Amino acid sequence: MKVLLSWLRDFVDVPGRPEEIAATMSVRGFAVEGIEHLADGDAVIDFEVTGNRPDCMSVSGMAREVATAFGLQVRRPAVSTSIRRANAAGENGPALHLASLKTVERGDIEIVIESPELCPRYAGAVAEVTIGPSPEWMQSRLRAAGVRPTSNLVDITNYVLLELGQPMHAFDHATIAGGQIRVRTARPGETLKTLDGRQRTLSPDMLVIADAEHAVAVAGVMGGADSEVTAETKTIVLESAHFNALSVRRTSKALGLKTEASMRFERGTDPRLPVTAMERACALLEMIGAGTARGTVVDRYPVRVEPNVLKLRRERITGLLGVSIPDGDVRRVLEALGFALRDADAGWDVTVPTRRVDVTREVDLIEEVARHCGFDRIPTTFPALTVPPPPLDPRIARTRQLRALATGQGFSEAVTFGFTSAPAAEAFAASEAIVPIKNPLSEAFAVLRPSLLPGLVESAGRNIRRGQRDVQLFEVGNRFTRQDGESQAIAFIWTGAGRTPHWSERTRDVDFFDAASFVSTLADTFDAAARLQPLATPPTYLVAGQAAEIIAGGKSANGGAASTVRVGHVGRLTPNVGELLGLPAEVAGYVGEVDIESLAQFRRTALKATAPPRFPAIDRDISILVDDTTPAQAVRDTVRTLALPQLVSLREFDRYAGKGIPEGKVSLSLRLTFRAADRTLTDAEVQSAMDDVLSALETKHGAAQR
Amino acid sequence: MSETASDRSTIDALREDFRARIAAASTDAAVKTLADEFLSRKSGSVTGLMKTLGTLPPDARREFGALVNALKQEIETSVDERRQALAAARPPADAVDVTLPPRTRAVGHVHPLMLVRQQVEDIFTHMGYEILEGPEVEDDFHNFEALNMPPDHPARDMQDTLYLGSPIVGGTWGAHRGSVPDAQVRAATLLRTHTSAMQIRYMKTFPPPVRIIVPGRVYRRDNLDLTHTPMFQQFEGLVVGEGVTMANLKGTFKAMLTALFGDVKIRLRPSFFPYTEPSAEVDMSCHKCAGAGCAICKQTGWLEILGSGMVHPAVFEAVGYDPDAVTGFAFGIGIERLAMLKYGVEDIRLFYENDVRFLEQFS
Repeated sequence: MKVLLSWLRDFVDVPGRPEEIAATMSVRGFAVEGIEHLADGDAVIDFEVTGNRPDCMSVSGMAREVATAFGLQVRRPAVSTSIRRANAAGENGPALHLASLKTVERGDIEIVIESPELCPRYAGAVAEVTIGPSPEWMQSRLRAAGVRPTSNLVDITNYVLLELGQPMHAFDHATIAGGQIRVRTARPGETLKTLDGRQRTLSPDMLVIADAEHAVAVAGVMGGADSEVTAETKTIVLESAHFNALSVRRTSKALGLKTEASMRFERGTDPRLPVTAMERACALLEMIGAGTARGTVVDRYPVRVEPNVLKLRRERITGLLGVSIPDGDVRRVLEALGFALRDADAGWDVTVPTRRVDVTREVDLIEEVARHCGFDRIPTTFPALTVPPPPLDPRIARTRQLRALATGQGFSEAVTFGFTSAPAAEAFAASEAIVPIKNPLSEAFAVLRPSLLPGLVESAGRNIRRGQRDVQLFEVGNRFTRQDGESQAIAFIWTGAGRTPHWSERTRDVDFFDAASFVSTLADTFDAAARLQPLATPPTYLVAGQAAEIIAGGKSANGGAASTVRVGHVGRLTPNVGELLGLPAEVAGYVGEVDIESLAQFRRTALKATAPPRFPAIDRDISILVDDTTPAQAVRDTVRTLALPQLVSLREFDRYAGKGIPEGKVSLSLRLTFRAADRTLTDAEVQSAMDDVLSALETKHGAAQR
Repeated sequence: MSETASDRSTIDALREDFRARIAAASTDAAVKTLADEFLSRKSGSVTGLMKTLGTLPPDARREFGALVNALKQEIETSVDERRQALAAARPPADAVDVTLPPRTRAVGHVHPLMLVRQQVEDIFTHMGYEILEGPEVEDDFHNFEALNMPPDHPARDMQDTLYLGSPIVGGTWGAHRGSVPDAQVRAATLLRTHTSAMQIRYMKTFPPPVRIIVPGRVYRRDNLDLTHTPMFQQFEGLVVGEGVTMANLKGTFKAMLTALFGDVKIRLRPSFFPYTEPSAEVDMSCHKCAGAGCAICKQTGWLEILGSGMVHPAVFEAVGYDPDAVTGFAFGIGIERLAMLKYGVEDIRLFYENDVRFLEQFS
C-alpha cells in the first residue's frame, strides 16, 4: 500500500521524517518495502499490508494505525454544507468534506438486491457530470499511489478507494435499462464484456450487477464495457456497496481477474462504509468541478451487520504474552484503534469496529494490545519442562548413522529435489507407478521422484561436466510411488577411481565390488546381512551382468535362514540412462539404492554380548574346479546346507581362470574356518567335516579338488 | 731461509686444507676422492712429501718424516671416522621417504544444509525437545484446513501449492511412540507447503504438553532464483502446555540463535499467519556487523530469520485441545536461510547443485 505522506497528514498530524514513521510502523506490523522521496519534498511510503488487514488498504486506515502508534488523534471526514472548489491541495490537503446526501427509498434509480447474502448492502446515487480530466493535485496523488489517472469521474472513484478503502463504480445512467439496478447471480450462460474488452461467460454462482435486462458489471470485480462512463456521459449512477468476500474471491479466481476492488472485497470491506464513501465521492465531484450530485442516496441494507462484542480478560493477556499490561495501556491502544471498551468482570467487553474483519476472538484483541504496546515489552523467559522429554525418534539417529557411514566411505552428501522429469522417472520405475504433479512448474519437475537416483545421477553428471572425474555422492531422502506411497531410502553413485590414487600403486576405477562393498557395510550397520542376487532381467537403469538385487536377512552365527527381504538394487548404470541425465556415456557409474525401513527391521533392539572364543580356530583352504557359470553363492549355499556345527566362516579368497584351467571351468579357492566353543578341535574332526564338504561340492557342482 | 721451516708450513697448509674439506665430504665417493688427493700412491700430496724425504739430510729427514707421518695418520684416521659417520647417517635399507604423500582414504562431506539441520536438532534436543519427521506428501486437512486455512482462505495464496495428479499414501512417523500413523487415514493429495502440517498430526495423536521440532523438506511452486527453490527445508517448532507464553517464545529463539550465531539480539515484529495469534517475524541482530549495518543485513542491522507466533485457538480446536486450558507457540525456520547466513552463501541454488568442490568445504 503506497501512502503519500501529505495525504496521510490530511488525517493525522504525524511529525517526523518518512524514515522515522517507517521505522515505527515496521515494528507495529507494517513492514516498509520502500520510501520514495518526491521532488516537492513529499514522500511515498510503501507499507506491506498483511492479508488479514484489508482495513489498512487505504490512507485513512493507515492513518488510524499511525495515530495509534504515535499517540495522536485521527481526523475524520465530516459532512459540510459549504463544499468549496479546491483547485489545489490546501494547507492540510483537500478538506475532508463529505456531501450531505438524503437517504431515500427510491430516488432517480431503483435498487433491488436479489441475493442479500452475497450483497448485504448496496448504495447508489445519481449525479450530473461533465467528463474531463481531474485537477493536477488529484492526478498527482493517484500517481503517487500507483494508479494511473484517466478521467475526473474514474479518478474520483479511485481516489475514494485509496483514501477510504471503499471500492466504487460509476455507470453511465443512460445505459442502465429501466433505471434499475438489480444485484443478482448470473444467469446460466450469461455473458458480459468487461472493461478490459474481454467477453466473459459467467456462471450462476457469480454475483452480477444488472439493469432491468442484462448484467452490467461483475459485482466487486469489474464493470461492464457497455455501461462504461465515456466522454459523452451526462448522468452517472455511482455504486458503493458491500459484497460477500468469499463470493468475490471465487469469482475473481474463476475469471482470472484481479482488480484493486476485488483485492479489497475478497479480504473484507467495512459494511458501514458505503454511504460515507458515497458522500465523499459526491463532495469530491463538487470540489473538482466534475459534476453535481442530486443529493439523494438509495441505501439498500437488507442484512445489517452488527459489530461483534468480545470478552477480553486481563489474566488472559498476561497468560498469553508473559507480561502484564496496565489497564490504561489496554484501553488507550484499543480505543485509538476504534474499539469501544466497557468494564466487565475480570476485564472488558470490547465492541469491534465492523471494518476489523480480522478481529473475531479474544486473542485478536490481545494481539492488538501487544502490537501497539510493543513486542519489545515482552520479556525473555524460558518454557518450563513439566514432563520428561519423550524418547528420541530413532529415524533421526538412524539417518545420522547412515550419514557418518557414507562419508566415512568417501561419499559426499547430496541433496536433490523431490521431483524430476517424467523420462528420468521412467528410467527408474514403471510408468504406472509414477506419481505426476497436477500443476508442475516445468517439465523438469513434472513427477515425484520414484527413486533418489535420477537426482544423484544428474548431480554426478554436473560434476563430471565441470571437470571432476572421481565422484562419490549419496543422499538420504524420500521417494514416492503409487503402490508404496512415500518411503525413505539411501542411494549412491560412484564414478572414477575405485580407491584414492596413490604413487605407490596402480590406479583402479570403481567396479561392481566397490559398490557391493558399500551395500554390505550398509547392511552391517543395521545388523543385517546382505546377499546379492543376480538379475537376469535387470531394471532399465542397470547393465545386464552387473546388476543385483539386494536381499537382506538377519545375522546369525552360522548364517541360519531367517526371513529375508528385498531391500534394493545395486549395479552398473546403463550408459543411455546416464546420458539422459547428463552423465557422459563413456563414464562408468555404479549406483545403488536401499529402502531404509526394510533394512532397519533387522536392527537388534537388544544385544546380548558374548565373550570372545576361548579355543583356537582351525583354517582349511581348498581349491576346487567348477563350471565358470556357477555363482559363488551356490557353492556357499551347498556348504551351508550341510549345517556343520563347527564351521564358523566360509570365504572365497581366490577365483582363477586361464592357463592350467580347462575351458569353461574356474578355480575357486575357499577358506573354511572351524571352531568349537568347548574344546580345541582335532585334525580328524576337521578332516571329517572337510570330507563332507568336498563330497557335497562334488555331488552338487561336479567340483573336483585341485 | 730454512728448508725445514718451509716444508713445515707446507704440512700445516695441507692439514688445514684437509680438515676443511673432510667435514664437507658428504658421500663415500667424496671421501674417497679426498683421501686419494692426499694419500694416493701415485699422486697424493702427502705421498709426494714422503717422496721428498730422501733428498733431505738425515736429521731433517727424521724430524720431517715424523711430521709427515703424523699428518698421514691423522688423515687416515679422519677418513675412517668420516666413513663411519657417513655409514651411521645412511638410512636403513627399509627406510622410506616420509615426505611423500600419504595413502589417503577418501572421506566424504556432510551437506551444509544437513550440518545446520543437525546443529539445530542438537540445540533443541538439549532443550528437551522431541525431534521427529513427518510425511512430505500431505492432505488438505493437515496442511491447510486444520491450520485455520479453510478452503478459499486468502492466505492459501501466500503458499503456491503443488498438487498430486493422484492421491498416494504418505510417509509414516512417530512409530517409536506407538502412534498410529494417521498418514494412512487420508490419502495425500499435495506436497506439503510447510512443516506446520506436523503440528496437527502430532497434536491429534498425543495429548499436551508438546515440545517438538520437525525438520524436513517442503515444496512450493516457486521458480529457481538466487533466493528461491521449489523445494526447501524447514524446521517446525511447537511448544504447548499450561502457561506457555510469548515470553517463552522469545527466550527460546534467543537461546537457539545464540547457540547458532553467537551472542545476538533478537527483535519481534508483528506479522500475520493464519495459524498463530499474535504472529511475529523474528529478526536477529546481524552477526557480521553486530547491528552496525552492512551488505548482509542491507544496512539495517537486522536479519529476518523466522516466522512465529502463539498457536491460534482455532488450531487447538481443530486438534481437540482446549484453548482455555493450554497455550503454545509455534515457529518455522528456513534451513537454507540459516545456512546462507552461517556460511555466507549468496545463491541458494548452490545447495542443490551438489558440486563436490562446494561440498568439500564443509566438515
